[in-house]
Amino acid sequence: MKSALHNMNPSVKFLIITICMFTLAFFFNPWTPLIVWIGVLLVQLLFSRINWKVWTLFMIPFVIMAFGYFWTTLVFAEEKTGPVVWTILNMEIREVLLNHALALSFRVLAFSGLSLLFALTTKPVSFILSLMQQMKLSPKIAYSILVGYQFLPVLKDEFVQIQQAHRLRGATQKGNIITRLLNMRKILLPMLAGAVRKSERAAFAMEARGFTGEKRTSFYHIIGIGKLDVYMAALFLMLLIVSCASSSFI
Amino acid sequence: MLKSWKLKEVVLMSLFSVVFGIIYLLFLHAGNIWAGFIGPIAYEWIFGIWFIVSIICMYIIRKPGAAVISETIAAAVEVLLGNAVGPRLILAGVVQGLGAEAAFAATGYKKFNIWVLMLAGIGASIFSFVYGYFMGGFTVFSTGYVLLMLGLRIMSGALIAGVGGKAVVDGLLATGSLRGYAITRTAKGDARV
Amino acid sequence: MRVSDVIQFIDVSFRFPDEEKVILDHLSFSVKAGEKVVITGPSGSGKTTLLYLCNRLYPENCDGVMNGSLKLFDKESSKYAPGEVNHKIATVFQDPDAQFCMMTVEEELAFTLENLNIPREEMDGKIAAVLELTGLTDFRNAVIQQLSGGEKQRIATACALIMEPEVLLLDEPISHLDPYTGKKFISWLDELQQERALTVVAIEHRLDLWDGFFDREIVLESTNRVNELMTRESSIQGSQSLYVEAVHNDSFLKPVSFHLQKGEVAVLAGPNGSGKSTLLKALCQLIPAKGTVTPDRLGYVPQSPEFLFITKSVRDEIAFGGGTEVETLLERLYLQNVAEAHPFAVSHGQKRRVAIGAMLADGREIILMDEPTSGQDAASLSELYELIDERARQGTTFLIVTHDMEFASAIADSVLLMDEGQLTGKFNAESVWASEDLLTAHHLLKPKGGTPREVCFA
Ligand SMILES: Nc1ncnc2c1ncn2[C@@H]1O[C@H](COP(=O)(O)OP(=O)(O)OP(=O)(O)O)[C@@H](O)[C@H]1O
Ligand SMILES: Nc1ncnc2c1ncn2[C@@H]1O[C@H](COP(=O)(O)OP(=O)(O)OP(=O)(O)O)[C@@H](O)[C@H]1O
Ligand SMILES: [Mg+2]
Ligand SMILES: [Mg+2]
Repeated sequence: MKSALHNMNPSVKFLIITICMFTLAFFFNPWTPLIVWIGVLLVQLLFSRINWKVWTLFMIPFVIMAFGYFWTTLVFAEEKTGPVVWTILNMEIREVLLNHALALSFRVLAFSGLSLLFALTTKPVSFILSLMQQMKLSPKIAYSILVGYQFLPVLKDEFVQIQQAHRLRGATQKGNIITRLLNMRKILLPMLAGAVRKSERAAFAMEARGFTGEKRTSFYHIIGIGKLDVYMAALFLMLLIVSCASSSFI
Repeated sequence: MLKSWKLKEVVLMSLFSVVFGIIYLLFLHAGNIWAGFIGPIAYEWIFGIWFIVSIICMYIIRKPGAAVISETIAAAVEVLLGNAVGPRLILAGVVQGLGAEAAFAATGYKKFNIWVLMLAGIGASIFSFVYGYFMGGFTVFSTGYVLLMLGLRIMSGALIAGVGGKAVVDGLLATGSLRGYAITRTAKGDARV
Repeated sequence: MRVSDVIQFIDVSFRFPDEEKVILDHLSFSVKAGEKVVITGPSGSGKTTLLYLCNRLYPENCDGVMNGSLKLFDKESSKYAPGEVNHKIATVFQDPDAQFCMMTVEEELAFTLENLNIPREEMDGKIAAVLELTGLTDFRNAVIQQLSGGEKQRIATACALIMEPEVLLLDEPISHLDPYTGKKFISWLDELQQERALTVVAIEHRLDLWDGFFDREIVLESTNRVNELMTRESSIQGSQSLYVEAVHNDSFLKPVSFHLQKGEVAVLAGPNGSGKSTLLKALCQLIPAKGTVTPDRLGYVPQSPEFLFITKSVRDEIAFGGGTEVETLLERLYLQNVAEAHPFAVSHGQKRRVAIGAMLADGREIILMDEPTSGQDAASLSELYELIDERARQGTTFLIVTHDMEFASAIADSVLLMDEGQLTGKFNAESVWASEDLLTAHHLLKPKGGTPREVCFA
């Protein structure tokens, strides 16, 4: 149960989340996104093993951003009609506008909740494999992204290595922060250059292993679709319907 | 579209997309916090960052599609690593990439001087702004504010994406690691303009 | 029955773009199915380039200019789609770091099988079988990036074999293998070749190790005959120069202690994956390690030479640390005709010599070299030998990792042996060659000594 979200087919998960988001875009009221956000939290609580510390860390910037939307909408919006519900610092806040502002910021929260749910429960490699197997993504692109993705740790090593090479050759200059930052340029470009060279070799290796970029008939890691995906999709759709319906009741 | 691409070009493009996808995400998080204090206009003057990969890839590879595809992959990487906009961002990436691509297509993929690169940055700015105008609810802001945002974004697109992208590639070119890509193949003058 | 040509060069010329120098000049030859052919020629003569033409990576991927006709399986090579002919022609590249695209061994093998559209049910069996065959079963889930140079090279061979190719291209396949494993590799390749009637095209400098495996030699450019390396007189000059006390790391390296004297030339040997490279890196503080090393400014020639390069031309690279003998070194290391080339765009053996030259020019007092002999032709080896000898007499201390026993026996004052992350001990060179036990325990072979290096098909 705790692993349901993790075991879902990534493409299905991606589709259902996209559907949720596009639907949300049509509902401009505070309640729908709020309910979705709370629903997403509950789903994650029940069906995932995500690290809540990481989640909180990711969520903080979005909360700040939501707040930004909230007050800028209040201050910069053109709408100046409707009943006043609130007055702070000589500023009159009108009901329509308050709803507007809340809708915008809750929408930010709902969107970030949904996308964090996807990001924190999906392995990038499985997602790409699934895109290739279920969504007919071209193998040329799919494998290139996989290779690119695997380069990330290599890139980090490369950074260390170039520093070490400079040190070995006696090329490091110590100094204050500014000269060090300037020296970073001397490391970042070679790092990118090293990455370019490595990518070329990886491409050679792929070709030498008989990679033609054509659609393939068999896969070693099969990413399948099962009952679980149906159940989870249904769950998300229910959440979506409830939240959308709520707008007409409240 | 990819038929005429060499594998090493596809891999290079993907690698850059992944690397810049991460850089994009870092800026997005920083931008979000910043935007929390001064509103959506906070993004505008750094918006060019988010177009840079399309210009870098196109400038190196010079084949139709390099701008759209790279920008789309970078956006997909951002989604994978987690951000507020979610899958919708991929659409935004496509739109931005198309904006840059349009500028290159207009020159028939023949010219890659600084002006064309800046034009591509501007193209991406305009496309993304129009998209943002309808999706992001800018409609609620006053016209003056919207125009200011647009102006800032265009400038940022031209400078950060256009001029900045060229600077990065020219630096790479000087390290000699871009042998065998279109950028070193074209007449010497062109690559250096 | 007519045996068909699998590879046919008809008057082929090739040069890289932007370079006037023609690498291959009007070359014609053909290889028949089932043949075992070796390509020889000095370092930088275009052997690797030739191999890249045979598997169709060039000219397309480097925009090189090729004239003449190159047929693979009786079809013009340019008529194949990229990757298509590679279903039948498998390649093991020269540089252990430059031939993988996936993260783990299993994924790399599976990727190859997917490319060949092998049904999923058969994959597991095939992967297990090829790992069994190459004796690499333990490495199935290993992360490729974290293997030793020789281990990577063996994995690369497994990846080539799992394709069950008709033609196997090998670029100095044993230059990173320890002598025992190298020997085993050859006899096992021999069996395999007979069993599957493989066509083998290999590049090799050291034919003496292959015991007449090849049917035929294609000489790209004749090598200068050089004198056999003579065992050198000891150049040890009394005083101590390198102290190593209990150097170790958390994961692999057990505490290592030894001393070297001024002018001493020590060889560090041991099986693949025994920790030789790790030890050198630890001594230079390139990886976190505990223990003390004095002095702390050491010269280092890494196993993958590209690691060192920070400038844009071979000459700048050698001149980087100052030093007055740049031109002499360029000449002696046979680098003068690539002096202006980018250090990343020269041949593998040349890169290695650039790294060696850079360290020699810097005038370091102690120089650690990780497999400087790998991929070097006889002339370069002999020059390397002379250079080391001269410097040692001037007081430089050398610690050299090598799998080349002839070179080791000629140059070494003392031998350090390693096994499984542990230093077995420091020995007098003579006593190592005399001890069967030590040799077998460390995958070494007794140097032949006395066979001139150039006797191959005489
Ligand atoms: N990408 C490149 N661009 C330009 N020149 C190159 C490139 N790669 C190699 N060369 C040059 O081509 C020549 C032949 O190189 P190649 O790698 O084929 O030599 P090799 O015979 O395999 O040598 P080695 O035994 O040292 O591996 C060298 O002089 C080298 O400088
Ligand atoms: N980056 C790394 N991370 C983790 N383990 C590593 C790493 N590099 C090497 N190893 C492991 O450490 C051991 C020793 O490797 P090392 O490269 O020192 O061997 P070596 O004696 O130089 O072998 P070779 O003769 O094949 O070059 C090997 O088992 C290898 O798998
Ligand atoms: Mg070579
Ligand atoms: Mg090693």
